[in-house]
Amino acid sequence: QQTRADLARNLPSSNLSGHDVQATRTSLLGAPGFAHARVVSNPAAPDATPVGEGMCISCHQLEADHFTHTLHALGLHAANKADASVPVCETCHGAGSAHSQSPQTRGLIIGFTKDSGTPIDVQTRTCLSCHEGGPRDHWTGSVHQRNDLSCSDCHNPMANFSSEGLMAKASINDTCAQCHKDIRVQFNRRSHMPLPEGQMSCADCHNPHGSVTSPLLKTNTVNETCYQCHAEKRGPFLFEHAPVRENCLNCHSPHGSNQNTLLVAPIPFLCQQCHTGQRHPNDLHTSQSLATGSNPDERIMGRGCLTCHANIHGSNAPSGPRFHE
Amino acid sequence: QADSGIGVDTWRANKLDPSAGAQGRMTDEFGTSWLIGGQRRSPTGNLYMCPAQPPQLDHFGDWIGYGVLEAGAVGTSGDDRNALWNRYADWDSGLILGLLDYTWQRPDDGSYANVRASRISEDDQYYQAVFGRAGAFKIQAFIRDQPNLVSSNAKPIWNGVGSDQLTLPTALTPGGSTVADVAAVSAATPERTLSVKRSKQGIGFDLNLPMRWSVYANLADEQRKGARPYGGPFFFNYPFPNNGGVLETTKPIDDHTLAINLGVRHVATQWRMDFSYSGSFYRDRYTRYTYQTPFALWAVVPGSASAPLTTGQMAMEPDNDYHNIKAAFTYKLPLNGELSLTASAGRMSQDDRLIAPIDCNGVFGIGLGGNLNPGPANPFLFRCSDWNTPAALSRRTADMRIDTSLLDARISLQPLDGISVRGGLRFNRDDYRNGYLAYNPLTGDYGYIAENGSQGSIVPGEVGLFNPVTAPSNITRVRSLPLDLQTIDANLGADWKLDNKNTLGATFAFNRYEPTHRERRRIDDNSLKLTWVNRSLDWLTLRANYTWKKSNGDPYEFDPYEFTYSIDLPGYVPPAGGTPSHTVEAMRKYDMSSRDGHKIDVMATIMPREDMTLSASLRGDWNSYDAPIGRQDYQTSSATLQWDWQPRDGTNLSAYAAWDRSHLRLSNVQDQQAGAGVDPRLGGPNYALIGQWWLRDSQRDVYAGATLDHRIGRVRIDANWNYTRARGMDRYNYAGPTALAYPALAPGAGPGGGAFPAMTYRVDSISVGVTIPLADRFALRVFDYYERGRVSDWHYSGFDTARVIDHRVYTDGGPTRYNANLVGVMLRVAL
Repeated sequence: QQTRADLARNLPSSNLSGHDVQATRTSLLGAPGFAHARVVSNPAAPDATPVGEGMCISCHQLEADHFTHTLHALGLHAANKADASVPVCETCHGAGSAHSQSPQTRGLIIGFTKDSGTPIDVQTRTCLSCHEGGPRDHWTGSVHQRNDLSCSDCHNPMANFSSEGLMAKASINDTCAQCHKDIRVQFNRRSHMPLPEGQMSCADCHNPHGSVTSPLLKTNTVNETCYQCHAEKRGPFLFEHAPVRENCLNCHSPHGSNQNTLLVAPIPFLCQQCHTGQRHPNDLHTSQSLATGSNPDERIMGRGCLTCHANIHGSNAPSGPRFHE
Repeated sequence: QADSGIGVDTWRANKLDPSAGAQGRMTDEFGTSWLIGGQRRSPTGNLYMCPAQPPQLDHFGDWIGYGVLEAGAVGTSGDDRNALWNRYADWDSGLILGLLDYTWQRPDDGSYANVRASRISEDDQYYQAVFGRAGAFKIQAFIRDQPNLVSSNAKPIWNGVGSDQLTLPTALTPGGSTVADVAAVSAATPERTLSVKRSKQGIGFDLNLPMRWSVYANLADEQRKGARPYGGPFFFNYPFPNNGGVLETTKPIDDHTLAINLGVRHVATQWRMDFSYSGSFYRDRYTRYTYQTPFALWAVVPGSASAPLTTGQMAMEPDNDYHNIKAAFTYKLPLNGELSLTASAGRMSQDDRLIAPIDCNGVFGIGLGGNLNPGPANPFLFRCSDWNTPAALSRRTADMRIDTSLLDARISLQPLDGISVRGGLRFNRDDYRNGYLAYNPLTGDYGYIAENGSQGSIVPGEVGLFNPVTAPSNITRVRSLPLDLQTIDANLGADWKLDNKNTLGATFAFNRYEPTHRERRRIDDNSLKLTWVNRSLDWLTLRANYTWKKSNGDPYEFDPYEFTYSIDLPGYVPPAGGTPSHTVEAMRKYDMSSRDGHKIDVMATIMPREDMTLSASLRGDWNSYDAPIGRQDYQTSSATLQWDWQPRDGTNLSAYAAWDRSHLRLSNVQDQQAGAGVDPRLGGPNYALIGQWWLRDSQRDVYAGATLDHRIGRVRIDANWNYTRARGMDRYNYAGPTALAYPALAPGAGPGGGAFPAMTYRVDSISVGVTIPLADRFALRVFDYYERGRVSDWHYSGFDTARVIDHRVYTDGGPTRYNANLVGVMLRVAL
C-alpha cells in the first residue's frame, strides 16, 4: 500500500502545456481511459506537489461521490488503476500540497468557480490542455473567449448535471439561457424552432467554442446551417429567388416569430419591402381586403402572396420563374 | 455525446422532459460538499445546481450498472388536437415510456455503454445507444421520430392528400363547378390535421488514435412524410370576379436526406489539423404534384372563349447532392500566439428531370370569337401538345450547380502581458455553373406558360411567351438568374486586460460583399465593436458591448434583371408606349441598401446574497436604411430579468420577466398607369407621389415565468408557470387614395391612414408535479400540465365561417385558440 508521500514522489512533474498528453500512446485502443493524464501546473502554486486523490477525498468525499459517475472520473480512475502515477483530481486542479496545507488560501489549487482565485485564462488553458483542437479549434478570439467566459461557465464536470455534455445546467439550452435569456424567450413565440420541446439544441446551429462564421455558426454560411435540416431548400433551382439564396434570415427570424413560419414581418408587407413592380405587388391593402372585409383579396388572405408564388424558395419548374409552379 | 463543431443531432429529448432525464433526478440531500453549504458559482456568477443523488449500483462481473425507468400513462383533454398545442409534441393518451436511461461502466478500463429511450407516441419517440471507452473511442446509434403538426383544422377539398395527385371529389367537376358547389364541398369536409413527420436514423463513431490523431464519422438518414398547406394558382380572382382560381392545395412531403460527416483531427505540440468531409444527398419521391381546379375560366375579351383547363402542377424540390471538404491548420506562434488557416471547397448540384411547361390536353389560351381551333386566326390559342411534353424544353434536365470556396486566416498574439491583438481575413465565393434558357424548340417560342395556362386563357397575350415573329413585344422571363457571389471579410482587434477585474476590447470589421446580377455590385459593411468586461465588484459581473455599423456601396441599379427577360433577346420590339419600367427607381432592397446602425448588448450577473442570483440583460439594435422606397428602419430591443434562489439543497426558486419589441418601417408606391408606365422615377407620372404609402409593423412581446422545485422530506414538488403575450400592430399611412388596392374605399380624397387589427398571441401554461418515494427504488410521479392559448391572425379572419370566397379555396383555417390539459402518472424505478 502506497502512502501519500510515496504516491507524491511517484507522480510526474507538473506540465501546463499538456502537449504530451496522449502523445506517447502507440497502440490502437490499448491504453485505458486517460492513460497519459498529467498533473496540470498551477502558476499560483508553482512549488506545490501532488498529493493524490486519496488526500483530496479525505476532505472532498461528497464531491468525489458525485464526480465518480462522470465520464472524466471513469477514464481517470481506469488510468489510475492501471498506473498509480496517473493523477485523478490533480489532472485538472493541479498539485494539491499547498492547498492541503492552507485550504482557505484562494488560488493554491486550480479552481473553476467565481471565488476560486484562479484567473479565467488559466482555467480555460487547463481544460484545453486535453480538449484543444477539434470543435474548439477557434476558441481563441471567439466572442465567448473575448468576453472572458470560462469553460466552467457552461460546463460542470464535477457531476452529471445534464444527461450529456457535462453541462452546468440540465441541458444545452438551459445552459445557453443563463446569459441569453432574451434569445431563449424568442422560442416562446407563435412559430419557433422546436427547442422548448427538447427536439433540438442551440448547438445544432451554433458552436459556442468558436467558429469561422459569425455568429458562432457551425458551417460556412447561414444558409449552409439551415440546409443541415432543410436540405430540400438547397437546390440550386432552375429559377432562384435572390434574397433566399443570399441569406435565409432576409425573411426568417431564426429563433422565433409572431408570424407564421418564422417570418420577419407579416405577408404581404414582408414581400413589399422589395417588390414594388407594376400592377399587383405594390398596392396598399387594408383590413377591407380580408375575408371579413368588403373586398376580399387573395394577396393578403391566408398565405397571401405565397398562395400563388408558392415555390418562393426557388422553383425547378420550367414554368416557375415567378415561383407559381 | 454531441460534437459542437460538426452536424446536428446534438440533443434528443421531447416536451415531456426537454432535459432528457436530468431534471427528474432527485437532488442529493447532503448537497455538494461537506465543507460548505449551498452551491458554488460559475466564474460569471451563476449558481451551480445541486448534484443528483449518487445512483444505486448493480454489479455484473467487471461491470457496474445504474439507471432509471419511467413509465406510466398520460391523458389529454380539452382542445387536444389543436395545432399549437401539438406543434412539436405528439401527445397521445395512453401508456408511454417516459424515460429509459441505463448506463454500464467497467471501471477497470473505462469502458461504458448507455441506452436511452423515450416514447410519447408513434410520432414522438427516440432511442439511442452509446458504447465506448473514456478517452479512447465512442460508437453511437440513434433512431428518432419528430412530429411537426402544421394544421389541425385543414379542410382540403381534394382527394389524395399526401400524394402527388390531388383530385376533386365526384361532387365537383374539374373546370366546371360553381362557387356554391365548391363551398358546399368545403363546408362538408371534416377538419383534419396536416403534419410532417421526421424519422431519422443515425450512426457514428469517434476514435482517438496514437500520436494524438483522432477520426470520426457520422451517418444519418432522415425521412420526411406527410403533407402541408401550399399554393395553387389559376390566376387572379380579385380583379375578375367569378374568374381565375386561387387554390390553397396540399403539398405532399415524401423525401429523405442522407447526411455524412467524417474527418480526421490531429493535435500536436505546435500544430493542430482538422480535415473533414460533409455530404448531403436529398431525394424526393416526387418531381411534381398535380391538382385539379374546380373552376371554369372566362376570357376578358367579349365574345371569345377560354380554353378549358382542369389541372395545375407544382414542381417539388429537386434531388440534390452536396459535398464539402474542409482543412484547417493552426500553428502556435511565439508570444502566446496562434495562426489559423481554414480552406473549404464545396459543390451543390442537381440534375433533376424537368417537368413539362404545362399539364393539359387539347388547347390553352383564348379562342377568338368563341372558336377553340388553333391556327393563324387564333393567335392567343395554343396547342397543349406543343407544351405538355419535355420535348418543349431547351433541355430535359436541370443541370444546375453552385461551387463554393472559402479561405479563412486568423492570427492572435499576446505581445505584452494582458494585451492581445488579433486579426482575420476571410474570402468566400459562390460560383454558379450553367444557366437555363426557356426556349421551346417545337414552336420557336421563348418564355414559359404562366400559372398553368390560366393567365393566357383569361387575358390575351399574357400566356408568358415571347416570339420574335409572332409576339415580339411580349415581356417575359426567359433565363435563369445566376447569383454568383464573392465576399471578403477583414477584422482587426485588440483586448487589454487592465487588471484581473477589467478587460477592454475593440474590433474593427470590414465586409465587402460583391454579388453579381444584383442591384449593387459592391457593398461595404464597416463596424467597430467595443467590449468591456468588469468584475471589480464581488457581487457583479458586467459585460457590455457597443457596435457602430455603417454600410454603403457603389451606385444602386434598380433593375439589374433585364438580361433574364425577353427584352434582352434579339427581335424584341418595345410596345408602342415604350417598355414598361420593371420597378420604381427609388426602391432600395434592404439587403442591398446603405445602412447606419448601432447595437448595444449589456449583460449583468448580480449576486445579492450567497444563495441568490439576479441576471439582467439589455439589448438594442437600431438600423436605419437609406431607402425612399423599401425598408426604412428596423429596430429591435429587449430587456430581461431573471431571479434564481437556492435557499437550501433541494429547493430552487426562479422567476423571470422579459420584454422585447421591434419596429419595422417601410414605404412602397402604387403605380398609376395600369402596368404600362415607362417612367421609373418616384414622383413621375407612373410612380406619382400621390401613390406612396408607408407601413409600420410593431411587435411587442412580454414574457414571464416562475419555477419552483422543492423537497419536503422525501417528497418532491415541482411547479412551473410560463406566460407569453405578443401583440403586433400594422399601421399605415398613404399620400392619396390611389395608393390603396381599393381607392374607392378611402374615406376622403386626401392622405389617410389606418391600422390592421392587432395580431396577438398569448399562452399561459402551468405544470405541477409531485414525486413520492414508494420504496427504496420506486417513486411515483403525478403531474398535470395545462396550457391555454389565445391567438388572432388577421390573415385568417373569417375562415372559421367559410373557406371558399368566390374563386378562392383555402385549406388551412389558421391558428385557433385552445385550452388543453395533460395529466400523467409515472412510476419511476431506479434500475
